[in-house]
Parts: sequence; structure tokens; C-alpha cells
Amino acid sequence: MVPADIEWLATVSLSAAVLLSALGAVLALARVDHRAAMIAAAAACAACGIGGVAVLAGPIVELRFGVVLGYPLLDLRIDALSGAFLVALGAVGLAASVYGVGNHDAGRSRLDTVAYIVFLVSLGLVFGSASAFSFLFAWELMALSSAVLVVGPRPDRSMVRASYIYLAMTHLATAAIAIAFAICSAVAGSLDFADWVVSAGTFGGLTRDVVFLLILVGFGTKAGMIPLHIWLPRAHPVAPSHVSALMSGVMIKAGIYGFIRFGIDVLGAGPAWWGGVVLAIGAGSAVLGVLYALAEHDLKRLLAFHSVENIGIILLGVGVAMLGMTAGAQPLVVLGLAAALFHTLNHALFKALLFLGAGAVQAAAHTRDLNRLGGLARSMPVTALAFGLGAAAISGLPPLNGFASEWLVFQGLLTVGGDAGIDPVARFGGYVAVGALALTAALAVACFVKATGMTFLALPRTAEAAGAREVGRLMRGAMIGLAASCVALGVAAGPVGAVFAAVARDMTSTADSIPAAALVAPQTIGAYNPALLSVGLAALLAGVFAIARLGARPARLAPTWVCGILPEPAFEYTATSFSKPLRMFFEPILRPARELQVELHEGTPFPRRVSYRSEVDHLIESRVYGPVHRASIAFAQLARRLQQGTLQLYLAYIVGAVIVLLLVARR
Amino acid sequence: MTLDAPAAAAFIAIAQVALALGCAPLLQGITKRLKARLQYRYGPSIWQPYRDLAKWWAKTPVESNTASALTGAAPVIVLGAMIAAVFIVPILALRSPLAGAGDLLVVVGLLALARFVLALAALDAGSAFGGMGASREVAIASLVEPGVLLSLAVVVAAAGTTDLAHIATLGVAAGPALFSPTLLLAAAAFGIVAIAETGHEPVDNPDTHLELTMIHEGMLLEASGRRLALLTLASQLKVVVIVGLFSAVFVPFGAMSEFTVPAAALGIGVAFAKLVAAACALGALDAGMAKMRILALPGLLGLSSLLALTAIAAHLWLPA
Repeated sequence: MVPADIEWLATVSLSAAVLLSALGAVLALARVDHRAAMIAAAAACAACGIGGVAVLAGPIVELRFGVVLGYPLLDLRIDALSGAFLVALGAVGLAASVYGVGNHDAGRSRLDTVAYIVFLVSLGLVFGSASAFSFLFAWELMALSSAVLVVGPRPDRSMVRASYIYLAMTHLATAAIAIAFAICSAVAGSLDFADWVVSAGTFGGLTRDVVFLLILVGFGTKAGMIPLHIWLPRAHPVAPSHVSALMSGVMIKAGIYGFIRFGIDVLGAGPAWWGGVVLAIGAGSAVLGVLYALAEHDLKRLLAFHSVENIGIILLGVGVAMLGMTAGAQPLVVLGLAAALFHTLNHALFKALLFLGAGAVQAAAHTRDLNRLGGLARSMPVTALAFGLGAAAISGLPPLNGFASEWLVFQGLLTVGGDAGIDPVARFGGYVAVGALALTAALAVACFVKATGMTFLALPRTAEAAGAREVGRLMRGAMIGLAASCVALGVAAGPVGAVFAAVARDMTSTADSIPAAALVAPQTIGAYNPALLSVGLAALLAGVFAIARLGARPARLAPTWVCGILPEPAFEYTATSFSKPLRMFFEPILRPARELQVELHEGTPFPRRVSYRSEVDHLIESRVYGPVHRASIAFAQLARRLQQGTLQLYLAYIVGAVIVLLLVARR
Repeated sequence: MTLDAPAAAAFIAIAQVALALGCAPLLQGITKRLKARLQYRYGPSIWQPYRDLAKWWAKTPVESNTASALTGAAPVIVLGAMIAAVFIVPILALRSPLAGAGDLLVVVGLLALARFVLALAALDAGSAFGGMGASREVAIASLVEPGVLLSLAVVVAAAGTTDLAHIATLGVAAGPALFSPTLLLAAAAFGIVAIAETGHEPVDNPDTHLELTMIHEGMLLEASGRRLALLTLASQLKVVVIVGLFSAVFVPFGAMSEFTVPAAALGIGVAFAKLVAAACALGALDAGMAKMRILALPGLLGLSSLLALTAIAAHLWLPA
């Protein structure tokens, strides 16, 4: 297609996305079946995805709505970086909406459906906003609509608590971002991001550092990086699964988007410690995220902690790019950013798939507790296969998409280590991050063997799990679509990675130092041909399968041997026992506490009931948030003394305040 | 003729895969026989693994009546991933059989793929022993993987590439100068995790049939017939892959550098000799060491990562 055609396609499909979501909102408000609204939302997401792909090819689409007092309420400028995130939004949103049509308790109330569509629209606006006012408007809309979805129409205590913590943290983020924006607009004299990019060079050193830290805190909280992650494992599990898919797959990526947009695009190259801090936070989030996931046996909480882990992996890529910018090593910037953007899309796809799978399991077996599931592979084969593929992809196994982007992150870290232009301490940090990423990848394999095995394999552990039935066609379709895209992006990782490298190059290169043809592969220090490996592996599997079939006799079925008695689910390893060696290996971090209670039959040594409880201590919550929480309560108690409820006292306050003001004004 | 000529590439692919598949069971035979001799036992013949494979191949598998389709598919995937790794590691020549398909990160990824599928299949029958084996395997692997990648990162830092054939070529070109103190530290670090990855003492006992001590064998407990044959061959091949990785990175000498009859003969001979030497070393370790408590393993395996980080620090801060 010629550029004009691509630009036309991008404009038309993005406009169609806006109109279709407006239609969806109207349908949701009107008293019609919620499925009509969800279908409109699915169509809007499809259009958004097509628009995102078109924008990746280069054109920039500008749209403006609702100019009030000279400030446009919605001021959109959609470039290739926005496109990279809109593609994720489109793909995940399409799957989540289709799943929502099929899932009968999805449209729990009219408010929920409206909030869902507002949430989708606000995500799109965040990725497309071109000025501070429009961005913050969309950002708040995103936070509030998702909070409505988390709390739901019939909240219980845990839901209310989760949404309070979520709201508190998300407003901490907004506050930090708003201050950063205020500083930027004051220095640049404009609310337009494009002007900030131009005038970023005039920022003083200290101002730049302050803005950097503010956006790190603001966007890092939304992304769920450690230690600002505490809302994430609470809020994601209580939302309906198609909303969890969007929150974990796309919404936390808004934090990554903001960090790349303002930390790299606007601020540009900074001192070396910026990249070092991002690298350290990335490595810490990755390792701690997966360790806490291992200790979980609630399927959705486990997946939520894996989001913390994957945000860490993405931040490793961003950190590589920032170190590259400091050192003026353009290929390293492109490599790190391409890795981060590719892993962002990949994580969106497989995490959405896994959350939809968890939702299907919950719908069929009425529990998310891994210790009460089991054996679902035989009653829900399609869900099992899709979830298994998602688990393999998130574990970073070749030839799937998760491996391709983790490979790029590894290449970036090893290149940081090998780059003589970078400070030796940062280079050493790059190698430590290689070790951290290797540990993370192996722990992710362990965790997903647990999650998949305990849910789908062996005997069902409860009657609910035994009575599970496969979910409906639309829900299966959504999961199959996402699983297929994980495989496809893995096989086509070469060209797809090249697209992200082009985005990174166009965003950061001041001069045309890198020719258009030199994309990902020549900038890395290794060799990985995903298409060749996929074809080779497929041929080998087919060959081994064919040889193993030659003259084979069908397997004889017999009960599992358990030393002469009949097998029972109680003999199986549980999720808790499966992760026990790792809980003990990482005892200094996880601090597992166990409680064993044995009730005996009266006067005999025989146990009547044995109960076992094990939990891990979340050090950051108990050591950081705990004291802060207690201190703020204590401060509030002190402040209460000011409030005595007598009119005279308040009048005295006012008189005092006026006197102080007069004294100040007189000087 | 250079190694990239089509005839040379085809020869390397066929010869390396044939060598790997052909001698993988022999290596296990040698290890077991040496272990027995060192313990003043007579031990089975070094050809016994071939007889076992042939016996299992002919038998009808017995499958748990509560297992899923994964039980049948897993052996094929595990062996396929392992053969794919053989196609990437340059064992015979200074060229991978499937050049350009992958580097050392891909080899590590393929081993992880095999582990993922095997550990899941171990859970499928619902026996406690399978769960125990899978749980321990993935726990130990998570300590092994940082050691593997960090010790290889030392070499990547020196060579500036993660491509195994390229690393081996640079190593041969360096000659005896390759054995710098940094590289020896990295080799020691890799050696420790290689023992764990191949499932030998003091991490795992490959001969144990006491359920509570099994790790890898525990995962194979429910496999039988042809499936057991495929999974056993895969674990024998894993030794070839790990030793091949070690040889390509740390002692690449003797590998085919050109496509001539003497070079090919030398390459095959040297590769075979390296594999047999490694099998003997594993046998001696098995005979000489006791299995460590599982909770003591983080110390041993963490030592590997620590050694590798020391080597990296030396590479960064000490003058060459």
C-alpha cells in the first residue's frame, strides 16, 4: 500500500473505533441486552487494532474534540509509539469483549457495561493524547472506570478494601504525574507534549532529575513495579475475568507507555543513574513478582503477581535503552526499546489469555483455589490447551512469543555488559540483571507448571472441579484467538521485532544514523531465527511422532499405582506442596510461616482432623507500608484534636488565620 | 571446502545428530559401569542402555486411566526439543548443524521447554511421586539457570557474541591463551550447574529407586513402554547437549574447521573422546560423592552464580 492509503486506513479505522465505542455506550445506557453493547465494543476494539497496525507503518493521525476555552478536551496525536500500545488494546479488547458476550455474568449491571466501555475508550485516549490536559482527563477516567469495575455491583469486604487501596495508589500516581506535568508545562510554556520534547533541553539538571523521579513514581505505580505494586494483586483478582485481562494486559501498560513517552521521548538522555535505577527496579520487580506468585494458590492472584514480574522484564528493556541513550549508543537504545515494546505486546496477549482461562475455570468449577481444582483437562480440553499455550508463552519457552522478547531483553543486557562506553558499575549491573532474568525465567517455568498442573491435570480434588463442563463457544473462541496470536507472534518474531525496532529508531534517532534496513537482527550480538527454529522444531516433532507411532500398540489403561490401594485426590501433590522446596530455598525473602493443627480422637493417638496453613510474609507491605500506614493513622488521631465541634473554637481558628495572613501580607 | 558449503553443512548435520543419538545411551552405560567398578561392584555392561531402550520400545505402554492426552504427547515433545538442541550446539565442527537458527540462549530455552513439558507430564497421573519429582526438578532448575547463563555470560563478554559457533571459532583462534583465569572460573561455575542439569551426584542420584530421593527418575515413574524409551533417550541426549555446550564454549579445540576427510575424522574422534571423558567424570562423581540434602543445594548452586559474577568482575575491572 502507498503511504496515503495507509494514512487513510489509519484515520478511518481510528475514527470508526471512536464512533463504535460511542454506539456501544449508547447501547449500554439504553435498556437493551448488554450483549449488543459488548459486540459494539468488540467491533471498536477490532477497528482500534487495525488503526494501531496502520499507524505503526509511519503516518501520524491527529484528532481533536470538544475545544473548551481554547483547550481541547480531547487532543489526540497518534504516532507509532501510540500505535504499538493501541495494537495491544485492540487485540486484548477484542478478545475480552467477545469473551464478555459469551460469559453470562459479565454484564452484571448496566453500570458495569457502561464502565467497561468507558474503560476501553479511556485506555485508547491515554495512548493517543497529545497534551497534558487531555492526558490527565483520560488517565483519571481510566482509573475511575476501572475502580467501578473492580468494586462491582454487589461488593463484599475484600472488594471494597481492594478498590480503596487501588484508588489510593492510583491517585498517588496521578498526583506525581500532575506535578511532573506542571513542572514541564511551566518550563516549556505549553501543555502540548510536542513542545515539551523541543524544550526539554532547556530544563535544568535538578529539574530534570525531579521530573524523572516523579514520572518514575507516577507511571511505575500504575505499571505495578515493586515497591509500588501493592494494589495490583488485590485489584486484579476481584474484577470479572475479562476486565482482569484488560487491566493486566493493557491498563498497567499505560504506565509503561507514559514512562517511555515522558522518560525517553520527552526527557531524552539523562545521567547514568536513571538507567541504573530502572534496571535495578526492573530486576527486583521481576524476581520478587515471580517469587510471590509461587507462594500463591489463588489462580488469579498468582497471575496478578506475574504481571509484576513481566513489568519488571519490560523495565529491564527500558533500562537498557536509557543506559544506551546516556552512552550515545543508538543501536542499544533501539534494541532495549524494541525488546520492551515487543514484550509489552506479548505480555498483553498471554496474560489476557491466562486471565480469560482462569475466568473459564472459575465459571466451570466455581473456585480459583488451585488446591481445590484438578483434572479439568479432560472435561475442558480447549481451555486446557489454550491455557497451556499461554503458560508456555509466559514462561519464555521457544518458539513462542514470550521467548522472542525475553531473548531481546537478554541481548540488550549482554550488550550493556559488553559496551566499553558505559560505566563499569552499570555494565556489572547489566550482568547481574542477566542472572536475575535467568532466575525469573526458571521460576516462571516452576510457577506455571504448578498453575497448569494443579488446575488441569491429575484427579479433581473437589466435587465442584469434578463437575466442571467446558465453557461456551465464544469464550473458547476468545481464548483460541489469543493462543493462536501467541504462536503466530513467536514464529513471526523476526519481522514483528523489526517493526518495533523501527518504532524505537524513529522515536529516538536525531540523525539517520541507522539505515532503515538494519533492524533488530544486525543490532543484536546473537543469532535467533524464530521462523527457522519453529519449522525445524515442528519437523522434528512430526518426525519423532511418526517414528514413535510405527507399529505402536495402543496404551493399556490402568489405575495409577499408589502402593496397592485405589488412587484418591488426597494423594496428589497440591499447589502448596509443589512450591514448598522453593519457599524453603527463598526463606530469607518469603519468610514462610506454617501452622499445623492436629485434633486427636479422645484418648487415642489417632488424628481426627489435620489442618495445615501456610503463608508468606510480604516484606514490603509489612516493613514499608505498615509503618507508613500506622504513622498516618497516628497523625490523623493528632489532627482530630483540632476538631472539637464547638463554634467558638472554629471562630478562633478563623481569627488566628486572618491575623497570620495579615502579618504575612504586611511584610 | 568451507563449512558453509551445502555438502559440508549436510555432512555436519547428519554426522552430529547420528553421533549424538548413537552414543547417548553408551555414555550412560559408561557412567554406570565406571561407578560400579569404583564401588567394587561388577556393574552392567556398557551396552545395557541400548538393550533397555530396545526392550521398552517393544512393550505396550500402561497409562493411568485418569491421565490426559499430555501423557502421550509429552515424550515426543521432550525428545523433539532435545534433538533440536543437538541441532544448535556445535559439537562436531565450528558450525551448528542448523546454523543461524539459534544461539546459547535458544539452547537454554529448549532445555526449559523439555523441563516444562516433562514436569507437567509427571503431574498427569496424580501420583505423589511424580509431583515430588516435578516439584524438586523445577526448584533446582531455578537455581541452575542463573549459574548457566552467568557462566556463559563471561564468555559472551569476552567473545562479544552469543552465537555458539562464533564463540567456538574465536576460542580455537585464541589457542592456549583461551585458558585465562577468568575463563577457568567460568568453566568451574558451569561445571557445577552442569552436574545438576544432567542429574548426577551430589544433586540427584540417577540410579536411585528409593522414591523419596528421586528427582528426575521420579518424573519418569509413571512412564512405560515406548514412552519410557523416548524419555530415557531424551535424558541421555541431555548429557550430550550439556557436554557439547561446555566443549563449544570452554574447550572448542579439535572441532572440524574445514570440510576435509582428516578434519572430519579428527572432529568426530575428538567429539567422541570429549563425550566419553565427560561420562567418566560423571561416573567418578557418582561413585565418590554422597547426595546432598535438598536444602543444602542453594549453597552449592549459588556458588556457581557467585563464581561467575566474580569472573565477570575480574573481566570488567582487572587489566587483561
